[in-house]
Amino acid sequence: MNVFGSGPGIERRVNVANNDVDVIVAPRGSSRPPGIISWFRSVAIAIRSLLTGMRVTAGYLFGRDKVVTQQYPENRETLEMNERFRGRLKLTHDDNGYMNCNGCKFCEIACPNQSIIIKDRRNPVNDKSELDQFIWRLDTCTFCNACIQVCPHDALEWGQDFEGAVYDRRLLVYTLNSYAGPQARLIERAIKKDEQPEELKATIEPRSRYGTGVPLAGDELPGVPALGGEDKEST
Amino acid sequence: MTAPIRTLDDRIRPSDTPDSPLDTQEYFINMGPQHPATHGVLRLMLKLDGETIREVIPVLGYIHRGIEKMGEAMTYRQFVHLTDRIDYLSALVNNWVVARGVEVATGTETNDRIEYIRTIFAEIERIQSHMLWWGVLGMDLGAFTPFLYGFRDRETLTDIFEETIGCRLTMNYIQPGGVMHDLHPNFVKRTKAALAYSKSKLHEYEELLSGNVILQERTRDVGILSAEDAVALGVTGPPLRASGVAYDLRKVEPYGVYDRVDFRTAVGSVGDCWDRYWVRVEEMRQSIHIVEQLIDNIPEGKTMLMKPAKKIVIPEGVYYNQMETARGILGMVLVSDGTSDKPYRIHLRSPNFNNLWALDAMSRGGRLGDLVANVSSLDLVVPDIDR
Amino acid sequence: MSAAIVLLTLAERAAASLEVGIWGTAAWLAVAIVAAIGSMSLLGMALVLIERKVAARFQSRLGPMRVGPHGLFQTVADSIKLLIKEDIIPEQADRILFFLAPTFSLIATLLALVIVPVSPTLHLVDLNIGVVFFAAVSGFGVLGILLGGWSSNNKWSLLGAMRAGAQFISYELSLTLCLIVAVLFAGSLQLSEVVASQADGWWIWRGHVVTIVAFVVFIIASTAELNRPPFDLPEAESELTGGFHTEFSGLRFAFFFLAEFINMFVASALAATLFLGGWMPFQVGGWDTFNSVMAIIPGPIWFAGKVAVIIFISMWVRWTFPRLRVDQLMRLEWKFLLPIGIANVLIAAVIILSGLYFFPVGN
Repeated sequence: MNVFGSGPGIERRVNVANNDVDVIVAPRGSSRPPGIISWFRSVAIAIRSLLTGMRVTAGYLFGRDKVVTQQYPENRETLEMNERFRGRLKLTHDDNGYMNCNGCKFCEIACPNQSIIIKDRRNPVNDKSELDQFIWRLDTCTFCNACIQVCPHDALEWGQDFEGAVYDRRLLVYTLNSYAGPQARLIERAIKKDEQPEELKATIEPRSRYGTGVPLAGDELPGVPALGGEDKEST
Repeated sequence: MTAPIRTLDDRIRPSDTPDSPLDTQEYFINMGPQHPATHGVLRLMLKLDGETIREVIPVLGYIHRGIEKMGEAMTYRQFVHLTDRIDYLSALVNNWVVARGVEVATGTETNDRIEYIRTIFAEIERIQSHMLWWGVLGMDLGAFTPFLYGFRDRETLTDIFEETIGCRLTMNYIQPGGVMHDLHPNFVKRTKAALAYSKSKLHEYEELLSGNVILQERTRDVGILSAEDAVALGVTGPPLRASGVAYDLRKVEPYGVYDRVDFRTAVGSVGDCWDRYWVRVEEMRQSIHIVEQLIDNIPEGKTMLMKPAKKIVIPEGVYYNQMETARGILGMVLVSDGTSDKPYRIHLRSPNFNNLWALDAMSRGGRLGDLVANVSSLDLVVPDIDR
Repeated sequence: MSAAIVLLTLAERAAASLEVGIWGTAAWLAVAIVAAIGSMSLLGMALVLIERKVAARFQSRLGPMRVGPHGLFQTVADSIKLLIKEDIIPEQADRILFFLAPTFSLIATLLALVIVPVSPTLHLVDLNIGVVFFAAVSGFGVLGILLGGWSSNNKWSLLGAMRAGAQFISYELSLTLCLIVAVLFAGSLQLSEVVASQADGWWIWRGHVVTIVAFVVFIIASTAELNRPPFDLPEAESELTGGFHTEFSGLRFAFFFLAEFINMFVASALAATLFLGGWMPFQVGGWDTFNSVMAIIPGPIWFAGKVAVIIFISMWVRWTFPRLRVDQLMRLEWKFLLPIGIANVLIAAVIILSGLYFFPVGN
């Protein structure tokens, strides 16, 4: 039986693969010398080691403010996520509420999981390609940040909302944009240069979260009835 | 290792002459794929004689996702995020292996700031991985309290990740050409506080578990893996070092800024569970020491040297690159055809796969309880075995 | 069955003392059954809740917080859940034994519970061989575990049951040796007399080191008897996935669970009765004012306090230590506890023969 106890290691220098490496060797303790006194000594060391452990746990039982549990739904009001927390993907908007996305599909290409599907349309006023639908599949997203990293217009950001659980996975496919239309930069330029800004704004069409054309957005599937009611309408 | 190759049929046949004085029979029992001690979906077929283990046959494939094959359909930058999911407790080092492989292949030089950030994060991740392991080892040996202490203290370190990166586990942070975000302004302060906290907790770990007579009895001279066996089986990481081979890539082939910091390689002398336990606990201390040396000296500089949206095309060839994760050596073989921005073939040499096969060598003749201690002391992450 | 006999006896005694007829007896029987079931499940639920709360605090958690104020009704909810859960019997199981196993476990516990002297009046059955009875029925409890492990037709369960068998047989020896020490000092097998013999001072104070050693060994051995960590090898969640009760679910699992927790109470109560003076108050020789103040506190509260302390120590140990290995468990018993126990009994005999009691209190 070894004399128990962990302790500091023994420092040494060895040669490994032609490198001198400073190592620190695990303590092994010493073997117990024969005799009844050392036997009692080792038993005493053993009991002391047990009591030391019990002191640690008792310190938590009787110590103050040792509880680290967060009572989650109760502390919702005071819960603050880190600013870089990757929650729900969001489109950014300028001060007037126009989105920065122009539907360039960089994010769609960068996405490793095909979680982003961009549908574009051609604007009749300025004859430019613009965003029709930004479909984001939360169910396949791995929150890898690739889309945000490649976005040339800083049109995407992470929201702080992490409560994405739903009862039907078809509800995890969102349309992110609230409207289809030109990006903020184009509207700004049109206003500045007075190139038919009102007509441009008139092409804006609203889009809802589970709007038309979103794959799996609560639509009827073989054997699965369509999702109706408020969930589908809410944005 | 000149044993004849045996098929599974051979292995599951009971031995004719069990060396037991009693008239006992061998029997088989499936440990896993759903078993609390196998930490996931590892399946071990055990040939038992009573409680004594005669043979351990690992059966794999329960969480095979084909990550290497998936990598062939992805750009290098996209593949990085998959490596988070092989050994999720060393996600950043896995990222780094791909990033460094691509950087070496394309001849990109990174700057000091990037290397400092990568090294610091890799070491913080090593500490949190070992903390989790420490707790899980406690639970496997029947003490539930260390499990929660380990997880609790690990939270302070994952908070560092969340602040700078935004994620706690699968981070996709280290990328070819740099890192995804610059450091958070609060990073240095928070890291120092967390390291001070971890130091005090390491002392507590010693008191609660390391010195405990029951833990010592459960781990000393249990599951001995000799240095020869360890090298022959390709065991790497803490289990190899616990067997007395001071082979640490951070020392032997330094990458990042490991050649500029002072730290010691923790080794064992016997190769039993106790040595593996102690090596990991000491590695936590050494990692804290490494981060402490680096944290005040992070130089200024850009954190991303490649344009994120630009295609990365690697010249034709086969590239190999390896690093020391918390569990051992992770190597990546990259084959590029020189035309596409996607790899032609990717193979990962994962540490857990090789470490797993040491289980049979170290568990034979032990009890069922020893097997649990051995599995735990190898610190297996099952998704890394199957990939 | 035996439990029913005990309850019948109880009802008979109650009826006889009140001189009522057959209907009165029946009414008392009904009251006794309801009271027994109610108090047992209440006791079990309270112990589980306390265990969970204490464990949580040890682990810097809060424990159950959702059901009721501070999770007070958590175990009630759990019990209801266990009652209405699907009762799964494995296809290959031995159905009769599978049915009997948890019942045996619970009955053994019940039988041990009735002899616990809570106070001079609240003492269900005061057997003249109370200590022997306890040793006998606590050995009966292993039968339920063995049957459970065997009948589940699961190798993990069987391993757990075999471990339980070896463990019980080994630790029963130490347990009984400690009981013998207490009986030697008290001079009686009847638990009420054991308590009465401690009116002058608890045996743990008066019996030199002998009773202290016996007390500690009793706690260790009873922890092993109860399958509580660090001796929970028959269950050993991380090794045997739950051991003997792996295949049990719903009500059957609840029976095992209840039996385990009430056993913990019984063992602690026995330790309190034999060594800590049962419901006797704490008294110090010569301090008359102190003694009279102590004597005001009623016996049941003294008893509950002592039991609570022992249960708390048991929980403290449980949530601190890792588990032993099978051979280490056996080594602890046969190489440490058993020699200590035998030597202890011999020394106790010498002390009693030469009348060397320690500072008698009162007189």
